[in-house]
Amino acid sequence: MRNRVFWTILVAVGLIFVVVSRLTIANDYFYFAGYVVLQYIVLSTAWNILGGYTGYTNFGTGAFFAAGAYSSAVLQKLPALLLATLQWKIPPVPLPIMILAGGIVSGLIGLGTGYLTLRLRGVFFAIATLALSIVMQTLIVNWGFVGGSRGFYAIRPALAPLGGSYIQYLFTLMVLLAVIAVGVARSIERSRLGLGFHAIRDDEQAAEASGVPTLRLKLISTTISGGLMGMAGAPLPYYVTYLTPTSSFDLQYAVNSVAMPVIGGMTSWIGPVIGAILLGTIQQLATVMISSAANLLIVGLLLIAFVTLAPNGLIGLPRQSPFLFGFRGRVSRRQIWLSFLLPLIGITIAVNVAGLLVEMLQPQIPGVALAQLFSFATLWPQLAVGAKRCHDRGRSAWFLLIGLIPLAGPIWLFIELYCLPGDSGDNAYGPAPEATGTPLAQAA
Amino acid sequence: MGVQLDLLINAIVAGILLGGFYAAVSVGVTIAFGMLDIANISQPAFILLGSYAAYIANLYFGLDPILTGIVMMPLFFMLGMAVYRLYYFAFERRGEQAIQGLAFFFGLLFVGEVSLVLVFGVDYRFVTTAYIGPSFHIGIVEVPLRMLVPCVFSLIMVGLVQLYLSRSFIGRAILAVSQDRVALQLMAASPIKIKQIAFGISIATCAVAGSFLIIIQEVEPSIGRDYIGRIFAICVLGGMTSMPGMLVAAMLLGVVENITSTFYGPSWSPAVAFGLLLVTLAVRPSGLLGRQ
Repeated sequence: MRNRVFWTILVAVGLIFVVVSRLTIANDYFYFAGYVVLQYIVLSTAWNILGGYTGYTNFGTGAFFAAGAYSSAVLQKLPALLLATLQWKIPPVPLPIMILAGGIVSGLIGLGTGYLTLRLRGVFFAIATLALSIVMQTLIVNWGFVGGSRGFYAIRPALAPLGGSYIQYLFTLMVLLAVIAVGVARSIERSRLGLGFHAIRDDEQAAEASGVPTLRLKLISTTISGGLMGMAGAPLPYYVTYLTPTSSFDLQYAVNSVAMPVIGGMTSWIGPVIGAILLGTIQQLATVMISSAANLLIVGLLLIAFVTLAPNGLIGLPRQSPFLFGFRGRVSRRQIWLSFLLPLIGITIAVNVAGLLVEMLQPQIPGVALAQLFSFATLWPQLAVGAKRCHDRGRSAWFLLIGLIPLAGPIWLFIELYCLPGDSGDNAYGPAPEATGTPLAQAA
Repeated sequence: MGVQLDLLINAIVAGILLGGFYAAVSVGVTIAFGMLDIANISQPAFILLGSYAAYIANLYFGLDPILTGIVMMPLFFMLGMAVYRLYYFAFERRGEQAIQGLAFFFGLLFVGEVSLVLVFGVDYRFVTTAYIGPSFHIGIVEVPLRMLVPCVFSLIMVGLVQLYLSRSFIGRAILAVSQDRVALQLMAASPIKIKQIAFGISIATCAVAGSFLIIIQEVEPSIGRDYIGRIFAICVLGGMTSMPGMLVAAMLLGVVENITSTFYGPSWSPAVAFGLLLVTLAVRPSGLLGRQ
């Protein structure tokens, strides 16, 4: 897809999303929750420009994010300060200007961290960014002008531009930021710049030796990444209305912006977006249904699980395990029973029993609901394996849609997928599955 | 000026005592990060686990925290071996330890912290022993026992670790693994097993370090983060692999931090460690005593 086409589609999607939600949803909670998810799309996309494309792990998301938030705080206090000291009268700074300013401030901090990469690589860079975040938090705590450790109250303007409530306005701005972040990330991915970033990630010395201007590229990468994070942070004072150093530098921003690309997949722009939407939504639900501490636990556990079991994230799964997640090729009747349906039934029963036990022992943890969530997660493998079984019978994967017909559909589908043998010999979708060996043999 | 001098000397002495404690906290990372090249940023989570173990033993059985720490060491050793196993199979074997492994430990740190919050809440917890309240005076210098006791035991622990590393077969093999793992393999020793033991030791020290921590200050789950900067600053400043270097760096950080908090207020002290770390990383990555 050409870049201009992609941008057009992206902007259109953003616009439609805003208009449709504004027209149909009046409940402010939707906008509060949506704002957070969108904010994570920006943060994780920004993180991925440096972490995924260029290969430098940043644990200091909180620093860039909070720098954006606090530059807004400064700009909000600026008119009063100028009036008191210099007798200058300027109108209150509008939020879009604050977002720009936040982006510039954090971009400059990003530029500074970029110079750190001259001396620091890998683990050392990661630790240095963590250090940066704590140092900056200490500076803010001791900076009385923006409230220090006591925090800062941001007063929302009485009237929201573009009509609607103020949270709807913030939501709209965040949609815009998400569109910008995703568009920028994809443009980078398809450009010479992206190639340069990848060269640095794969082998920095080799890149340097073949004439890639590594320092300049790294500076660009850290600046863009930091700037986008700052822009995501700039509306924060108006979102929370009470800004404290502890909440704005919270470690969960760092963990989330690492976890989301890792879970979605770091090689492409879509990975962080998927990760942010999925993880962000799960967290919003978990905060409401269980507790905010539990939602952080979920993030941490998912991060560990994905990084150990699926290092290329969700988008890497079809390649990592073609049998469970890929949609190409064929699967025989024997395979679908032995390698898929029977294990799936066993695991589902085990998970549900475990969930029930947990709920009996600890009533505040909704174990059964979590077990349902697991069943939801098996939807993808069900579709993938089903599609390949359709192929085995010489049908298109669209045949699966027949399962949507009430009553008769699922029965028909069960007979097709689990009872009838596949085409003998090659068909349009590839060679007969048994000939190429069992999935276990393929994996090995 | 006399008062200022008093303050300064007291800050230096207290800083040295604090530095002794920092040494205990940093032994583990010096082994894991310096020698094994495993960036275990979840070390503070294990230290806090040690603190809470000491807290429970003290609360319910009235046990001495340091004793609890020593008793818990074998358990932590096994925990460490298990974590290394997982780390090895998931990352090191595939050669993907850099970003993925780091994210893994980052997740571990976070999970550790949140689990402690879920179990113990965010209240500050403390232990009660005979040596927490009193202090004695040498001239104008005040020496609180709650600082002196951890410092002394910490020096003993660092000494023992150093002795073990330099005298025993496995200890020397650990040093060898940090220098040249292929050579070690050629001598028919398994680098994986050696690293597993070394990582076990690294986590085992957390049991004791955690008990020191809860003696020195009241503990709540999120204070672990502050220690990431301290631990790694000390490790890098000390030259990564050397125990004496680590000890000097720990003392230095303790003194600088204490002087800062005495003269500029405690709210600045977290920045000291991290600022020192940033400067060291940017200016002299080989550490104080390291070769340039």
